[in-house]
Amino acid sequence: MDAMIRLEALTKRYPGQEELAVDNVDMEIRPGEIVVLVGPSGCGKTTTLKMINRIIEPTSGRIILEGEDVTDVNPDRLRRRIGYVIQQVGLFPHQTIASNVATVPKLLGWGKERITARVDELLEMVSLEPRIYRDRYPKELSGGQRQRVGVARAMAADPPVMLMDEPFGAIDPITRDRLQNEFLRLQEEIQKTIVFVTHDIDEAIKMGDRIAIFGDNHRIQQFATPEAILSQPANEFVDDFTGTGASLKRLNLVRVRDVDLGEWPTAISSVRREDALAQLDEVDQAFLLLVDSNRRPVRWVSRRDLSRADWNQHVGLPVRAQVPLNATLSDALDEMLTSSVGVAIVVDDGGAYRGIVDIDTVMTAVNTLRAETRERVAVAAWHAPAGAVEEGGA
Amino acid sequence: MAVTGADPRLAAEQAGSPSRLRALVSDPAKAWNTFAIPLIVLIALAALYQYLGGVELTSREAARLNQPELILRARQHVVLSVQIAAWVIAIAVPLGIMLTRPWAKRLTPIFVGIANAGQAIPSIGLLTILAIAIGVGQRGAVIGVTAYCILPVLRNTLVGIQQVDDSIIEAGRGMGMTRQAVLWRIEMPLAVPIVLAGVRTALILAVGTITLGALVGAGTLGVIINSGVVGFSNPVLITGAVLTASVALLIDWVAGIAETVLRPKGL
Repeated sequence: MDAMIRLEALTKRYPGQEELAVDNVDMEIRPGEIVVLVGPSGCGKTTTLKMINRIIEPTSGRIILEGEDVTDVNPDRLRRRIGYVIQQVGLFPHQTIASNVATVPKLLGWGKERITARVDELLEMVSLEPRIYRDRYPKELSGGQRQRVGVARAMAADPPVMLMDEPFGAIDPITRDRLQNEFLRLQEEIQKTIVFVTHDIDEAIKMGDRIAIFGDNHRIQQFATPEAILSQPANEFVDDFTGTGASLKRLNLVRVRDVDLGEWPTAISSVRREDALAQLDEVDQAFLLLVDSNRRPVRWVSRRDLSRADWNQHVGLPVRAQVPLNATLSDALDEMLTSSVGVAIVVDDGGAYRGIVDIDTVMTAVNTLRAETRERVAVAAWHAPAGAVEEGGA
Repeated sequence: MAVTGADPRLAAEQAGSPSRLRALVSDPAKAWNTFAIPLIVLIALAALYQYLGGVELTSREAARLNQPELILRARQHVVLSVQIAAWVIAIAVPLGIMLTRPWAKRLTPIFVGIANAGQAIPSIGLLTILAIAIGVGQRGAVIGVTAYCILPVLRNTLVGIQQVDDSIIEAGRGMGMTRQAVLWRIEMPLAVPIVLAGVRTALILAVGTITLGALVGAGTLGVIINSGVVGFSNPVLITGAVLTASVALLIDWVAGIAETVLRPKGL
């Protein structure tokens, strides 16, 4: 497969500094994949990212984008072909959201109508209702909303490549989780080639198709799939960096949609209560899940709720623990632990019920994963008895 | 930006200015803030008129305290102040922009030093030296007071541009905006409130200092004050002082409104 981005012996030395900031990085990034650069602070991951759009000019080495050597082309033109998202977002405070999103299309000289249509499309894509947000100013938005605008702005001219520098780093954990999931879902549609920097190994495992771990020596220690990094760390540094709890982290590798979901008895919320009771009798469960006419989960009701004299549409427990199909098993486990019923409900993009994840689902997935990895390690060992790791290390 | 010239959103922003003017008078508290100064000036002028009506003027005093003379001096005062402000903006803002560019950053201390000196030298001394050098009249007064007023605008332009968040500039550059585009579409608009505050300070300095122009033949309301001092005449002295203060307050009031209206939306 042709590489979308190829870095050849990319090196950065800041003037007056003995040590290299980035030491001889070689990398091939394929079209449509998310490559995460991760490592401790000062390891060169951000410098590497910023050399790709030449916000930082490399000291030596080449940058090849879509087969074209862009190391010496006009940097302004180059950057209009590459989306760029930074941690602080950097929205222009004196411009409306629409005008912010339209920055690159305006630079490229698009027509007015085309820009307006594109801005609305993008705002919808990042779940911001255009009619409400188009004419607002950045200060009127929350941190999470601003970062959505930042992502929309980076995608405005539909660049094949996006660079993201800790895009969710400054956002509270709950919103971050939601933005990560939304972004992964979006990525399935847009299939961009993404280079993503983070210092958080958990985020790297969740977001990355492949992960490049940078070490204190400003070189790549290992560049491989998350699974390979967790199961076959190339060296002690990688092992240390990925840290303990590797099995728990591997729950981040499995998406809810890839496991066999459990079933739960459901009924439309307008069900007659005799029928509901009859249904509960048939199955061996304490609760029945009520869904609305679009099959969106509404409430849990128990036998006791159904027997209450004042039975009405509002009796029962509201549904809290819901996860989308692209959530990880780790997310699902988290939700499950907070759920009063002990299961996480899986819903599709429209919010409709698709199944449940319970502790058995998680255990089965863990066992499968373990078996698969063992098999793969055996195969890898067979093909590469010298113990080389996938894609090579430092 | 040719593309956005006809942008309906931009048009909406421009239409925003009159609505912000309206906002200044929309509710009673705001209207009070907006019109307190002109009201005070009106009261002061009415009191002055009342006072002058009750005193017997000597022929010498009457030569100063008549309508054509007062209007002439007030007009000189306002025109020279505005001229000075225009020169100050024309010199200090481009200079400030230049000194924030990477290639000229090293020169910043030199120019700020010169501007500091301009303000540190007593203005009456500066005006006298200029009068000797280029002759008496308005030209020397304008040059002297302009030199005196450069510093606040220069300093505020520097600070206004430097305070723009680095991440905003990085985002702009990272999307392929040229340095020029970043300067004109991001840095300058975001610096506007601070630059305007500097201009307002300079304008107030100019209105106050230009009274000294009377001593070098530049006219202004300083002439009235001066002849009051020389002729030991309280009515003339008081009239000169009240009119000078009124002009200063009104010019500051106009500058304040300009500050509110010209501030970019969203800040």
